[in-house]
Amino acid sequence: MLIGAVVAGVVFGLYFALVGLGLNLVFGVMRIVNLAHGDVLMLGGYAAWWLLSAFGLHPLVAAVLVLGVFIAVGYPLYYLVVPQLQRARDSEMLSLILFFGLSQMIEAVTTIAVGTTERSLPGRMLGIGPFILLGARLPKPWVFSGVVSAVAVAGVYLYLYRTRLGMLTRAVMVSRDEALATGIDVHRVSALAFGIALGLAGVAGVFAPFMLGSITPAMGPDINLTAFAVIVVGTLGNPLGTVAGGVIYGVALMLMQTYYSSWANLLPNLLLIAVLLVRPEGLFGRKTRRA
Amino acid sequence: MSPEQPLLVVTDLVKRFGGFRALDGVSFHLAPGEVLGLVGPNGSGKTTCINVISGLYPPDGGGVAYLGRAIGGVPSHLLARRGINRTYQSPKPFLSLTVMENVLVAATYGNGGTPPDLMGLLASLELDTLAGRRAGELNSAQQKTLDLARALATGPRVLLVDELAAGLNPAELGRMADRLRALAAGGMALLVVEHLMGFIDRVTDRVVVMNAGREFFEGTLATAIKDPEVIRVFLGGAHG
Amino acid sequence: MRKHPADLILPALVLAAFAVAPFLYSNELMLFNFIAFLALAQGLNIVYGFTGYLPFGYVGFYGAGAYGFALAVMHLHAPPLAAMAAGAGAALLLAVILLPLLRLSGAYFAIASLAAAQAVYEVVSNPALQHITKGPYGVSLSAVFAPRFSYYVALAILGVAFALVVWLRNSRFGLALQAIREDPVSAGMAGVSVVRGRTVAWLLSALVAGLVGAVFAWHISVFYPDTAFDLGVSIFSVVFVLFGGATTLTGPLLGVLILYGVYNAIGITVPQYFQFIYGALIVGLVLFLPNGLVSLLTARGLRVP
Repeated sequence: MLIGAVVAGVVFGLYFALVGLGLNLVFGVMRIVNLAHGDVLMLGGYAAWWLLSAFGLHPLVAAVLVLGVFIAVGYPLYYLVVPQLQRARDSEMLSLILFFGLSQMIEAVTTIAVGTTERSLPGRMLGIGPFILLGARLPKPWVFSGVVSAVAVAGVYLYLYRTRLGMLTRAVMVSRDEALATGIDVHRVSALAFGIALGLAGVAGVFAPFMLGSITPAMGPDINLTAFAVIVVGTLGNPLGTVAGGVIYGVALMLMQTYYSSWANLLPNLLLIAVLLVRPEGLFGRKTRRA
Repeated sequence: MSPEQPLLVVTDLVKRFGGFRALDGVSFHLAPGEVLGLVGPNGSGKTTCINVISGLYPPDGGGVAYLGRAIGGVPSHLLARRGINRTYQSPKPFLSLTVMENVLVAATYGNGGTPPDLMGLLASLELDTLAGRRAGELNSAQQKTLDLARALATGPRVLLVDELAAGLNPAELGRMADRLRALAAGGMALLVVEHLMGFIDRVTDRVVVMNAGREFFEGTLATAIKDPEVIRVFLGGAHG
Repeated sequence: MRKHPADLILPALVLAAFAVAPFLYSNELMLFNFIAFLALAQGLNIVYGFTGYLPFGYVGFYGAGAYGFALAVMHLHAPPLAAMAAGAGAALLLAVILLPLLRLSGAYFAIASLAAAQAVYEVVSNPALQHITKGPYGVSLSAVFAPRFSYYVALAILGVAFALVVWLRNSRFGLALQAIREDPVSAGMAGVSVVRGRTVAWLLSALVAGLVGAVFAWHISVFYPDTAFDLGVSIFSVVFVLFGGATTLTGPLLGVLILYGVYNAIGITVPQYFQFIYGALIVGLVLFLPNGLVSLLTARGLRVP
């Protein structure tokens, strides 16, 4: 039972890393908090549900489409709101409020469009029966989603460390002011990062029905708390630390569900508070900022 | 230099940030009625020194004694009430409060004795006509002066002045120098960090020159500028 | 500081209007909800307007107050007014436990407070604690049901919330809190005890929410953890304060009267339309009017009560 919980936890952890990655990328590059992150994820889920029910598209195809469309939407959205925000004195706090408003709008529109009914996708789409991994029996959709998550995370790694734009993105993360001074087009780099972040949230949403059971228009705030727990554990502003945060979170969640199932919902909340209070720089971070 | 007992004694003060020793054993003392200049290249630890003395950070070694009692690690608001105050390199007024409210807070909470006549205080710093304006509407030089007004509203015996002169025009510089001298003449002890050597020359009785977190010269500015070590640090350093 | 009589007139008018309203208008529950949100908005105003901390988990104190009241009635058979004190005590206890959160800044504090409220909800609604809290099945307090009495107790709580904000706006302590909000380092150097100031504001703010939660439990008498810890309570309070403008008496008041008015007109039947409207309002406010409606006047140098 222990091995099973740990293995499932790692698989879920990869998925949770994907859930947190976009939020962390935005924070790392722009120092703003996208409180609509959970709602963007929810939109990705509904997109997958709609593409399947209307066109019979496989979730993997839906994931690729969602990624492209969300990047395309995120890029101009950045220009619409973020530069204006960053001129303010307390942009971090204002961003929290603004994206909270945006999150309410997204939730409202989705509710108007699809109602409040929970939606799910048939798990058999991603494989039937269990998958044996290190002696643990896991449903194939979990493994499928975990693998896709790992691929997406690896893609972000390659972008950040193997491309020129990615290198510039990391420069902006280290110091926005220095990057501006050296002539980097900070807005273009940030807009792309913003788009990618929405795209990642959307992809996470496509697999949400398989990993989280179902989707509803009101799932955003819960997702935000989970995503926050993951990225705070794995160091704010460091997208790759998110993987470690996701795995720790996933394993902890599976252990809780195995041994103290009725208290498992407490986990993201307590983990988030505990890490913020004890090590606000994250478990793997150096002390770079005072939270 | 001063016949009186020192008000503030800094001994082997150490402050580390991670592996970096911003203060690496700095020592000096400050007597009532004296203006001491603290000079050195950028990054030599001048502002950190003020931050530790004013209670923003606890020291990691050595100590600060005020009126013969150790004050290292005592929080700012208690130091303010005991008579230590400061200004900031970049001004830090309460932006949404009016000029008068800014000094009123300090006079109410930071003054251990009888609060001064606030309108008179503002008038002496040429801020009286701005009393009803929000601090956020002031220009940078006015905000720095407001920081000074707020510090003075607490009735300090030791005043730490961090780059007050930057941004002032020559006429304002002269008036500011006269004000600081007048405060010293009234018995206040001042520690002045400043890059403008003309201003240092005009207001200080003596200077302590710092480099890499410790002091290496102490005396008048006139002798300092003839000291080969001082010349080496300043010409070799980034700032003149 | 100068005393501003307008700061007293406005609350007095509101209190008087709600005192006579039940005799003129039959939907007492709606009036009660107005009072509750007026008080919650001013309670949130204490901590957000005067110290800059925005607790998204403000509903946690409200829920703690409601369950403090309910537990006192169910297990101790406490009379309602004593149970009110228990509710306030529960909220204050939670606030004390959460004091370390004040070490966090801005967004971290907002998120952490939300996580804390969710954690309390998970505990209260947990089926494993059914013998104490009745878990997710909710509580019924019909033995103490007294709608008219509890309505006027709620009005008294609103009076307390108004009084706290009037006091903060006209006292040096309130000025010191604003100084902390603007610049904690400078405030400390001006002699203000930053920790003490924030703690007092936090506890007062929690007290108001706890009292409102307790009187809600009394007035409604049958409720579930989902209603007592409804995130909507936090969201509405935050939106009302932001919309009207924090730190003033008028701002949160306007926010509740206008937006909760709109909510009652259209929001109850089609809540998502209302949700969309206030979502859009928030986005617009942050971009164009970050200090709320009242800043249309305060930006012109006018003093708004």
